[in-house]
Amino acid sequence: MNPFFYTPAEYELEKASNSYIMSLLVVMVGLPLPIINLLATLFFFIANRKSTYFVRWHCTQALLSQFSLFCLNSVAFWWTVTIILNKGEGITNIYVAYLVLVVLFNLLEFIMTIRAAIRTRKGVHISWWFYGPLTDIICKP
Amino acid sequence: MRKIVFQGLILLLVLAGGVYLLTRMDWIRLLRIDRATEKVEQKLGDLIWSQQGLDELPKDSTYKRVDAIIRRLCAANQIDQKRVKLHLVENGEVNAFALPDYHMVVYSGLLKNVKNDGELAGVLGHELAHMELAHVMKKLGKEVGLSVLISITTGELGGDAIKEVIGMLSSSAYDRKLEKDADVQAVKYLKQAGIDRNDFANFLDRLGKEEAGIPKELSWLSTHPDSRERAKYIREME
Repeated sequence: MNPFFYTPAEYELEKASNSYIMSLLVVMVGLPLPIINLLATLFFFIANRKSTYFVRWHCTQALLSQFSLFCLNSVAFWWTVTIILNKGEGITNIYVAYLVLVVLFNLLEFIMTIRAAIRTRKGVHISWWFYGPLTDIICKP
Repeated sequence: MRKIVFQGLILLLVLAGGVYLLTRMDWIRLLRIDRATEKVEQKLGDLIWSQQGLDELPKDSTYKRVDAIIRRLCAANQIDQKRVKLHLVENGEVNAFALPDYHMVVYSGLLKNVKNDGELAGVLGHELAHMELAHVMKKLGKEVGLSVLISITTGELGGDAIKEVIGMLSSSAYDRKLEKDADVQAVKYLKQAGIDRNDFANFLDRLGKEEAGIPKELSWLSTHPDSRERAKYIREME
């Protein structure tokens, strides 16, 4: 179901799809720092903040999902740094378990983002669990 | 709004539940992380001991006496005694310390200073506890860094780094929590082996009184702070 009161034009579909692709591109070029994905999506969001509702909506959803992933990845990143610098307890079972969870979530996010990019490009409105309703509140027509 | 809160809570629950379920698995064993650490420790222990340059005493009756105490402690506490590599060293300092891979170094100064086997068993039990609780590698990892330790085992870093490691393990204390943990564990070992813990406490008390006079020679004491306080809690332990 498309909740928008208009049919998005071709260029809007492309921009909305690109908002998801931005975060994927950064992963693909091999930047491991968790902040980079968020920054890439944030820059794209800022660049399109005055764009049409459809574009803004998808930029916001992409940004929100990247933000929560950023929080998860940051914990994993700094936890790893403390281990490398020998400041913490070392490699513990809970650390490995958390790392596995983070990898699984990143993988899930990666698949969902690819799917969203493709579907949005085709003009299908994709609203994710939790992020969709949250975007509805933040992003107004 | 209610929908968002509900969905957000579900998401958090999935996350927390995911971590909980994943921690049920023994990843350390599954990924063989513990075995990798053990191998580094083994190599490091052998390398340090082969290049330490300490004056080791012959395996005479004194050696047998110390070895017998270690055997008694190990047998009573299900510790693999074969892993412990005892080295008696000619040195006037009252000192004993543990090196990686269960190398236990005891100075002749300590042997001359103890009044009975119970006192010696207390010190040996304390060092044994450091080994069993993996404090040696923890301390080295924290102060030297795991990367340096691995470099030593691969031969990238030579004699100076090894001397530094020996110096650190023989002359500086573990942090307060690890020292207390080792004391608590040592008292358990003594109890299981039927040795009076008061002997250990007496040793600490006696050296504590002498502390002000000859601190330099009492290495084991000066590297283990608050000896009288330790003697007190050793006596009071359940």
